[in-house]
Amino acid sequence: MKKILIILSLVILQGCTVLDAYLMTNYDPNEYQLITYIRAEARQFKTQCDNVNSSKFNAGKIAHDTQLFVLYSEHIPRNENLIEAGKALNVIAQGLLTQYQNDKVSPAFCKIKFENIETSADKLQKVIGGRPR
Amino acid sequence: MSVEQFQQQLLECFNGSQDSNVQTAAQTANQYTEMVKAGQLSKDEYVQLLSDIEQTNIINKSVDNQQVMEYMNTAITGLINIAKIVG
Repeated sequence: MKKILIILSLVILQGCTVLDAYLMTNYDPNEYQLITYIRAEARQFKTQCDNVNSSKFNAGKIAHDTQLFVLYSEHIPRNENLIEAGKALNVIAQGLLTQYQNDKVSPAFCKIKFENIETSADKLQKVIGGRPR
Repeated sequence: MSVEQFQQQLLECFNGSQDSNVQTAAQTANQYTEMVKAGQLSKDEYVQLLSDIEQTNIINKSVDNQQVMEYMNTAITGLINIAKIVG
């Protein structure tokens, strides 16, 4: 009874945020693997920006993989933060592919885009890895 | 307003904010502006990279929220474990 009272008072005092935090989504190894893969790709692809053909292919690959990350994450309950972030990451990646499809792409732009994807994937990897097990 | 005035505004954001995300965004936008001026980026590329700063802000905000939740989760789980031992 004492335990229940402690937990209930904690929840009532602090409101829904505490409950959300307590019930938050647990660590998902597949989600972690997907974001690690995206980070590793971006890290490798940014070194190939001088080769237009390779970079165009790489842009398609990372756009596909960030889309896969969004699709995998979006039906995991209480995962709103990661869904939002995943969608934003996908927009960044899709933009590079669109640029390759429509116009010439400078090596500087290609490198910045992959660096942005790598940095963001690193942040997401950190929070996914930090989830309760 | 001119490009230089917008750059000055970004510099004010950089100097005036304590938020590292805001500082990074302002610094990055200025860096892109210098690159397009130097001809290293096309106008389309420049516009897209500036839009990416917005997307990065969404990512940073989501990541910050998630980190707070994870921190709270650790504290709540710890309190529950203590309650179990005490009870």
